[in-house]
Amino acid sequence: MKNCDSPDREAVISLRHVSKSFQGRKVIDDVSFDIYCGDIFVIMGCSGSGKSTLLRLMTGAIKLDEGQVIIKGKDISRASSGEIDEVKKSFGMLFQYSALLDSLSVEENVALPLKEHTKLAEDIIRIIVNMKLSLVGLRGFEEYYPSQISGGMRKRVGLARAIALDPDIVFYDEPTSGLDPVVGGVIDKLIKDLSEKLIITSVVVTHDMQSVFKIADRVVMIHKGRVIETGTIEDIKNSRDPYVRQFISGSHTGPINFFKEDLGVL
Amino acid sequence: MVSSLGRFIIAVFKDLVGVVSLFLDILYWIFIGPFKGKTVHRESVVHQMSFIGIRSFLIVFFVTIFTGIVLAMQTSYQLGKMGATIYVASLVAVSLCRELSPVLTALVVAGRAGSAIAAELGTMKVSEQIEALDTMAINPVRFLAAPRFIALFFMLPCLTIVGNISGMIGGFIVGAGSLHINPDLYIQTTFKYLALKDIYTGLTKSFVFAVIIALIGCYEGLNTSGGAEGVGKATTQSVVISFILIILSDCALTAVFYFSNV
Repeated sequence: MKNCDSPDREAVISLRHVSKSFQGRKVIDDVSFDIYCGDIFVIMGCSGSGKSTLLRLMTGAIKLDEGQVIIKGKDISRASSGEIDEVKKSFGMLFQYSALLDSLSVEENVALPLKEHTKLAEDIIRIIVNMKLSLVGLRGFEEYYPSQISGGMRKRVGLARAIALDPDIVFYDEPTSGLDPVVGGVIDKLIKDLSEKLIITSVVVTHDMQSVFKIADRVVMIHKGRVIETGTIEDIKNSRDPYVRQFISGSHTGPINFFKEDLGVL
Repeated sequence: MVSSLGRFIIAVFKDLVGVVSLFLDILYWIFIGPFKGKTVHRESVVHQMSFIGIRSFLIVFFVTIFTGIVLAMQTSYQLGKMGATIYVASLVAVSLCRELSPVLTALVVAGRAGSAIAAELGTMKVSEQIEALDTMAINPVRFLAAPRFIALFFMLPCLTIVGNISGMIGGFIVGAGSLHINPDLYIQTTFKYLALKDIYTGLTKSFVFAVIIALIGCYEGLNTSGGAEGVGKATTQSVVISFILIILSDCALTAVFYFSNV
């Protein structure tokens, strides 16, 4: 069992002065933070603030321009593709639109990482898949295809797939977006349960404040690719930073001003 | 004007490099991957073979049988004037095996399977499925492109053989039915002038066409961006580029065979 209870918990993921530009526009600008073992770490910010890019820099889906992303002691910006693959096997990811393979059934989708990366026998894989599907409350849907189930169910299948290889880290990209509040609550509870029961370090990108207050241990707020505030959920609640205050209250007036910044031509 | 031409050349060069590196990547996963414990999935190859090969059978059959019929009718019109109607048989057989059957089959398969590959992989790309595979440390080229490549490489020549046979049947229908050539004589004349090299030069072409269709379909699909519109664009592009490259390479290969007297 992974132990995260020692007083000097080590950082599982560390970002050091990370920057990334797309077509000359800086999307991530000198971002640094640490994510500790067993935490639910939330990256929040407005749409277009760069939080999804930050997540993709951590999963290795896009390459960073400057800085370091260190996952479990390995600097993935400088690792070989073989080393990166090894790191990838130790984390799972839940995509915003689930990203299940359309051509595979629910069962085959969850079994895919197991078939690819383990030498387990078919029947053992089936048992593990059933276990994972029970964890997300989807037993009995094994034979269905992604197009035949609802968005919330697809998210849960995506979650079952993300935890198929018993990862130490799970990345969540907007886990509750596009879901009704009740299903959103179910996903929040699953994230919390997985984190507590399986001691998984969770990195959640979201702008759903309700969800942040329910699940977060530590939070970082990103605006225009920069870190505005970082701390525990209490720190964020009590923050005096005008950006954070506006984000929490959801007000359209304040320092984050879309009309002034982006629609100036109007 | 000059700068837009420059941009076009750079874009073409970039695509060329992309296609070549995809080709090398596919070869790596087919030949070296198995030694590193990562094989191309057999079920997936069989599935693609059935989609590309077996389900293209009927359309290839019909396209080539009617081509054989048309070819026999058109050539008998000319050859009849010289009293050489009997040579319809060999002309149909040789022109089909050397040229028409490989090219027409490739064009049909590019339109049917090449476009389907681009559309499927393109949809997977824009719906994050390719990124999901990558995040699970499953190489998309090994998982998606290699099985399609292998399936096309083996099925297109098979379909070309189907095309050769059905085209000759088409010629036979006209020759024996409408031109009143003795059926035995028609068959004898067909095989008298049809040399083995006619068949294998045609099949050599179809192997090259298979590589073109698979690479262009996979490349366009895996490099799709921009949602539904992007998928549509990738699909159209894959068909247009495959068609052009098939005709171009056909011309080049025919020239090679012609000048080397094969």
